[in-house]
Amino acid sequence: MNEEGDLAGTDTLGDGDCVVLTFPARGDLVVLARLVASAISTRVGFDIEELEDLRLAVGELCLLALSGSDARHGDLQLEFTVSPEALDISCTLGGAAPATASQSNDGDEAAELSEQILAALVDEHGSEQEDGAVRAWLRKRRKGPLP
Amino acid sequence: MITDNLGLAHQLARRFLHRGEPLEDLVQVASVALVKSVDRFDPDRGVDFAAFATRTIIGELKRHFRDKGWAVRASRRVQELYLELGHATSTLVQQLGRSPTVAELAQMTGSSEEAVLEAIEAGQGYRAASIDASENEDDPLSARMGERDARFDSVEERALLAPALARLPAREQSILRMRFVQGLTQSEIAVTIGVSQMHVSRLLAASLNELRQHIGNDPSD
Repeated sequence: MNEEGDLAGTDTLGDGDCVVLTFPARGDLVVLARLVASAISTRVGFDIEELEDLRLAVGELCLLALSGSDARHGDLQLEFTVSPEALDISCTLGGAAPATASQSNDGDEAAELSEQILAALVDEHGSEQEDGAVRAWLRKRRKGPLP
Repeated sequence: MITDNLGLAHQLARRFLHRGEPLEDLVQVASVALVKSVDRFDPDRGVDFAAFATRTIIGELKRHFRDKGWAVRASRRVQELYLELGHATSTLVQQLGRSPTVAELAQMTGSSEEAVLEAIEAGQGYRAASIDASENEDDPLSARMGERDARFDSVEERALLAPALARLPAREQSILRMRFVQGLTQSEIAVTIGVSQMHVSRLLAASLNELRQHIGNDPSD
């Protein structure tokens, strides 16, 4: 058994498995999203570099969902879905009021940077307005079958 | 163009800070990558410079980590922190007379709380893999296990778990008995068998999972 093998989780997530995480939309809680992303990445067989990319990407996804809203009263909902080809993650902000004009400008700049970072880290990504909330999503392709 | 985008290079460098490299090194890599971006940028392609530079800078930052053998070091670092947490937990249990919090463990090991949680999470996988391997006679865990307690036989019969319990290593059986028959706390068990409370917690969780599997109960029930 090698070192890498020792660290790989023995539990795996398979085709169609879905994990949903909801937490108050606060910057200091984005750590929860990153930790869950790590745990899931390990279980779908991503290597440590892909895992770190996903941790970073999930943080940006949260920032993207938060952009354009006053998130002080909202919740972020992340959905991780495993398919044979990829891990799909979506992040939706619910229950938040629309941003003020100055918040919106700041949000646009932050969102632009987040989108550029996502473009460099994952295979596909995007964001759309859904029932007044921003839904940001990403797709990271898997190299092979489940470990 | 370079001056205008130094802020971008700095922001991107900061995004990679949690991987254990000093910020100055990352900023330097990102700044060099920014210069490369300017050299390579072709405005006729209709791509926004910031988007192009971001991709180039992140690519160079990732290459920097790859070239330094970061993946192997990171993997080792997690294992080392996991082991360090075991020692830190034992020390703090002695000092505090109770189980330490994640914040206290982070402070003692000089890590962030997130890193501690990551190491615990990775350690669960490490631990489970080791349990699978424990049927091997050469396994170091087996070598450290305590002797079987004769009184335990009646307990397992009463519990109708005999076949499942018998499959567990002797030390795990002892720990279950201490926890559920004698009613000791995890910290008390830890002191008794000379391991950390965190280690006892993991052994208990793994043993209970194994029992559930053998008697056909879903842990989520």
